Amino acid sequence: MANEPLLVLDHVTVRAGERALVEDVCLTLPRGQLVALIGPNGAGKTTLIRAILGQAKYEGRITIHGRVGYVPQHLQYDRTLPMTVLEFMALSLQRMPVALGVTRATQKRVLELLELVGAQKLARARLGGLSGGELQRVMLAGAMQDRPELLLLDEPAAGVDIEGEATFHDLIARQVRDHGVTVVLVSHDLSVVNEITDHVVCLNRRLMCEGNARDLLTAETIAHVFGGHKAVYGHAHTGHDHHHGHNHP
Amino acid sequence: MMERLAFYVGDSGGAVLASMLFVSLASGVLSPIVVANRMAFFSDAVAHASLTGVVLGMMLSFGHPIVTMAAFGVCVSLLIATLRQKSPLALDALLGVAMAGSLAIGLLLYQWQVRGYRDLHSYLLGNPALLGWNDAWVLAFNAVVALAMVGLFANKLSLIAVSRNLAQARGVAVAKYEYLLIVMLGLVVSLSVKAVGILMVNALLVVPAATARHVARSFAGLFWVSIGVSMFAGLTGLVAGDILNLPTAPAIVSTSVVLFALAWGVRRVAGHTEA
Repeated sequence: MANEPLLVLDHVTVRAGERALVEDVCLTLPRGQLVALIGPNGAGKTTLIRAILGQAKYEGRITIHGRVGYVPQHLQYDRTLPMTVLEFMALSLQRMPVALGVTRATQKRVLELLELVGAQKLARARLGGLSGGELQRVMLAGAMQDRPELLLLDEPAAGVDIEGEATFHDLIARQVRDHGVTVVLVSHDLSVVNEITDHVVCLNRRLMCEGNARDLLTAETIAHVFGGHKAVYGHAHTGHDHHHGHNHP
Repeated sequence: MMERLAFYVGDSGGAVLASMLFVSLASGVLSPIVVANRMAFFSDAVAHASLTGVVLGMMLSFGHPIVTMAAFGVCVSLLIATLRQKSPLALDALLGVAMAGSLAIGLLLYQWQVRGYRDLHSYLLGNPALLGWNDAWVLAFNAVVALAMVGLFANKLSLIAVSRNLAQARGVAVAKYEYLLIVMLGLVVSLSVKAVGILMVNALLVVPAATARHVARSFAGLFWVSIGVSMFAGLTGLVAGDILNLPTAPAIVSTSVVLFALAWGVRRVAGHTEA
């Protein structure tokens, strides 16, 4: 069980009508790694995440050996809703209506989860008053509630300041190190690939490259994935896909 | 004045008082969910459609008209929910069509079939004086439905209200819960119409939570303040309307709107105006 790959994508294609948003992606992720899934805007990264979460119809096969946690991209929510962070997290942790109060057991669990991301202080804060960085941490804590083995973070640094982003990356690295979680960090921004990243997957509709972070980050690869220009949008790379380093059995 | 108050201790007055308290309880409990899930316009559309339900109930008269009304309310809700998924139109446009259309059809059927039979006015604004114990029991059932709905599903519905996307990712069957909420709202709105009227029922579902949002600092607070506002306005509107010889439902709604304005003032004075 422990040696089974955590996530296997076998020729996964996601279509919107005639158009393939994600095409023929094969990928194997081991446990306990920090993986960056990068690609330009419109490359199908979120679509692929949705397929892994079972929210988008796909062709091919996706096998996950473990529980999945997810932090969505740009959480848009009603900031005027009076709700504390504690109550928000309790919504998916307890059966009793949160309107009647949060049980002791739930309070304890919420504080444990918030502690994982160093945000115990936020328990009584209003959800609507959180900064971008605080919200990300609360969302990360929420995503950890089922003790996931796979954590999918879709553009988690969007709307977070540089300092907050660094803290957030440290937190993510800690989940990988201390809890053996495999984290997939989705970004259109190459800067997420840094010293903490173990593995890089480049997507531009098709899988463009995959492998060790240090080996892959060459000018050639970047130009290939991003089409030499970061603004390339929906560029069809038919017939040019090199699959670098399929180094997993 | 005392004799008016004494009326509510008697048998027929007791039925009216009980009916209005049950209506207020149901709408106060559901109001935070309606507002958080942005269903305010939807429940208004169902309320307007219920006129057609009333008329159909009189025309077809299988069983009690309330059965036809409730069934029609639920059917309209389901129709709107389905159209919402199929139609390329935005929800507000769709609801506009459904609301105006069903009200117009209801009025035509009414003129054609039941002219002079009953007072249309009492369906538009409600007429608590017509309420008997049968109605009180129906409204007690209505309150139980609302309480059960919140007791069983409020957490899921609230998570959906915060973020549909997140709820989906947490494994909540979002579409199923949205249908459930819509059907329950259809039922509750149609059952409340006789007491508070087609034009006023929606205010009862929206104003309490809107008021509570000004002053509540937590989600639990939101519910309690909403229920409090709804019950207080229900009782005050009923008694004050009676003493001043004003129609009940508008008196209730006016009371709750005054509370809304007061709560807004309290919020401004308290100075937490993040919104």
